[in-house]
Amino acid sequence: MESVTPVKKQPMPGPENQEPHITETESISPWKEAFWQLRKNKLAIVGLFIIIFFIMIAIFAPFLTSYSYQTLNAADRLQGPSAQYWFGTDDLGRDIFTRIVYGARISLMVGFFAVTGALIFGSFLGILAGYFGRWVDMLISRIFDIMLAFPSILLAIAIVAILGPSLQNALIAIAIINVPIFGRLVRSKVISIRQEEYIMAAKAQGMKNGRILFHHVLPNSLAPIIVQATLGFGTAILEAAALGFLGLGAQPPTPEWGRMLSDSRQYIQSAPWTVLFPGLSIMLVVLGFNMIGDGLRDALDPKMKN
Amino acid sequence: MSERKTWLLFLSLVFVVVLAACGGNNEPADAGTNNNEAETNNTSESNNNEANEAAGENSEGDYSLAEDQTLIFARGGDSVSLDYASVTDGESSRVTEQIYESLLKFDEDSFEIGPGLAEDWEVLDDGLRFVFQLREGVTFHDGTDFNAEAVKINFERWADPDHEYHFADEGYTYSVYGTQFGGFKGDDGHVIEEINVLGDHEIEFVLNESLGAFLQNMGMSYFSITSPAAFEEYGSAINENPVGTGPFKFVSWSKDDSIVLEKNEDYWLEGYPKLDGVIFQVIPDNSARLTALRSGEIDIMDGLNPDDVEQIEADPELAVFERDTNNIGYLGFNLDKEPFDNPDLRRALNHAIDKETLISLLYAGLAEPATNIIPPSYMGYNDSIDPYAYDPDLAKELLEEAGFGDGLEFDLWTMPVARPYMPDPERAAEVMQANLADVGVTANIVSMEWATYLERTEQGEHDIFMLGWSGTNGDPDYFFGNLLHSGAIPGGNRNFYRSDEVDSLLNQAKNSVDEDERAELYKEVQEIVHEDAPMIPLVHSIPVLAGSERVKNYVPHLSTSEPLTNVELAE
Repeated sequence: MESVTPVKKQPMPGPENQEPHITETESISPWKEAFWQLRKNKLAIVGLFIIIFFIMIAIFAPFLTSYSYQTLNAADRLQGPSAQYWFGTDDLGRDIFTRIVYGARISLMVGFFAVTGALIFGSFLGILAGYFGRWVDMLISRIFDIMLAFPSILLAIAIVAILGPSLQNALIAIAIINVPIFGRLVRSKVISIRQEEYIMAAKAQGMKNGRILFHHVLPNSLAPIIVQATLGFGTAILEAAALGFLGLGAQPPTPEWGRMLSDSRQYIQSAPWTVLFPGLSIMLVVLGFNMIGDGLRDALDPKMKN
Repeated sequence: MSERKTWLLFLSLVFVVVLAACGGNNEPADAGTNNNEAETNNTSESNNNEANEAAGENSEGDYSLAEDQTLIFARGGDSVSLDYASVTDGESSRVTEQIYESLLKFDEDSFEIGPGLAEDWEVLDDGLRFVFQLREGVTFHDGTDFNAEAVKINFERWADPDHEYHFADEGYTYSVYGTQFGGFKGDDGHVIEEINVLGDHEIEFVLNESLGAFLQNMGMSYFSITSPAAFEEYGSAINENPVGTGPFKFVSWSKDDSIVLEKNEDYWLEGYPKLDGVIFQVIPDNSARLTALRSGEIDIMDGLNPDDVEQIEADPELAVFERDTNNIGYLGFNLDKEPFDNPDLRRALNHAIDKETLISLLYAGLAEPATNIIPPSYMGYNDSIDPYAYDPDLAKELLEEAGFGDGLEFDLWTMPVARPYMPDPERAAEVMQANLADVGVTANIVSMEWATYLERTEQGEHDIFMLGWSGTNGDPDYFFGNLLHSGAIPGGNRNFYRSDEVDSLLNQAKNSVDEDERAELYKEVQEIVHEDAPMIPLVHSIPVLAGSERVKNYVPHLSTSEPLTNVELAE
């Protein structure tokens, strides 16, 4: 049973499977082809620009603003956007633009580390489950099922509640809740690859399991992982913001966007800019990652080719 | 397809932002009853008029009474215990004030004492003997009679750790009794020598030393009278099953949600209380609480953001209630922990906190910076003390001299709920965190549940913590004795400040009946405390509440709370 169902789940054999043929006949690698596809997708390019934009902001934060994200200013509290304060000030008189700019660092960092962590652990477990099957698969898949049975944010809240509220723990929680998502994806991919002739050939040659896994199976499962990682980036940022909003993520004075939203929500009527800009930033970044993710999926999916 | 998804995502994100606006909204458990009530009001107008005529003689203003006289009072945190003498938090006394009464009672808007459960009293032997004539015909909510024996049992219960109702084994302590009456049975400073029942409704307190604030203490909600039969019945569970003589009877308590009280039909004051019931509803978030008030789900709310005062004043449906300044909000050090046992460090940090900025950012001006721990209107306030000025450079210099030039890191504990002296403690912590960062000190903000917070600070687990104190009897000793006397450890003295000099001055002041002498002694105490700097006094605030226009005859008392005996709801 286990070996049949995944084939259904993964109806499209990835383009990589024919890699040897393509390189021989047309001499275009599937990655190059995917890149061409991606370039044709306008939304994906917009997404890419948004992300590059935020990455630049995060890197050059100290050069973009002359304020500190922590300095209080009682005289200029709750000022609207102006030439002096581009995005206005919050209830403690801090420049919102500065906080957004430094907040980009936090959000991108959370996205990066949470996704990387989930990717490494999820892929590892997924490969083990998919390649070895039987009780290993049974054990790992059931753990994934249990984790997926909880709404992800609830699970994250539970984990943070145990570890204690901090940015680092929020990051760990987000990584953990994303592990089964990567794990299941990789597992199903591995199961379908396991049946391929070149794997059998490798086995017949007496190649060790470890080598087969990391030299043949993993590289051939990369496409869906990349797509999921890109989309996961956006989700992770959103989850970090949600935890921050609930006071379980970054602690003050860290300028985390979700936290900024919750701290300012009582001013939504009198000073809407205090929530507008953090909200917009979260939206833009997540939108950017999703547009790239969608574009990548289309580009890497052979069914979408014309 | 991908495009559609992108748009869906966009929409959902907009939704997130909108959600942020109404986040944390806690629906009161009985919001439904309010709506139902509105419907019945419309459908049965004739009934309504009859009800109004019946109640007409009592209502003085030109308003007609609403049919449903259940008041919903919303606040930020839940009560810790309904055994009033064993806790010091205002959220507990807010409820017990309704259920219990003391021998004496404060005026509606001052600390002038008047008759409560005692109709009359006499001071004999130069303030060493007090005889109280108790009110007759008063019954506890369980039907048993209120008499002199009940008063005696209550006082003996607090004073004697071996008393069968002291519940020492269950962890009950009565720190306020200890601080107000100089200790417990057998202690040197304990002033109540004996309590004699002179008749069914006559009781005598004999003191071994005079106590300036004795009568004032008798009016405090800490020294209310519980039914002795209830001690017998509930034992140490008395904190969840309060039985008193007050205007309202206890019905139910669902933790962190609501406490329901109903009218005491047999209340001794004829025609009172006006309300049929009171519900104390917990809504932790200030803005969610205000939303609930605007939508009519609740009638009165405590913990209003000073920023919202203007808006509410402009709203004809709502009213703002101000309490007079009678509190202190402070940042306290744990002197039992290094490095806060170093007075140089404490003085240096005193210079690092910008109180003016704190006030303009978080109090909308409804506060004044504090120098001493008692409010300026109090007897014995020392106005010759030169406050620690806000001066980050000096603070840095002093830190360096004290050996902390390389910086310092600690946990800054803050309350999770709005308090009268601090409407937004978490934000206030952020302000002070920024102040401290300016002088090279890293403060990590730590917050936890309210009851846990009080328990853990009492145990001394903190480094630096925020808290405050509101006067409940108008006497300076209530501040000094509870916050700075070593006898209040564990208890109100969460700074773990121990000074023999201060202790003896405070004992002297407590036992003196000469106002001038007391004032002088307190002034001296303030000088020592200022020098030792066990805490950073932050503000004396004007606590604001908001309520619906329907709420009539509500007068906030200077202390943290008041019985709602006279309150009624107009239509």
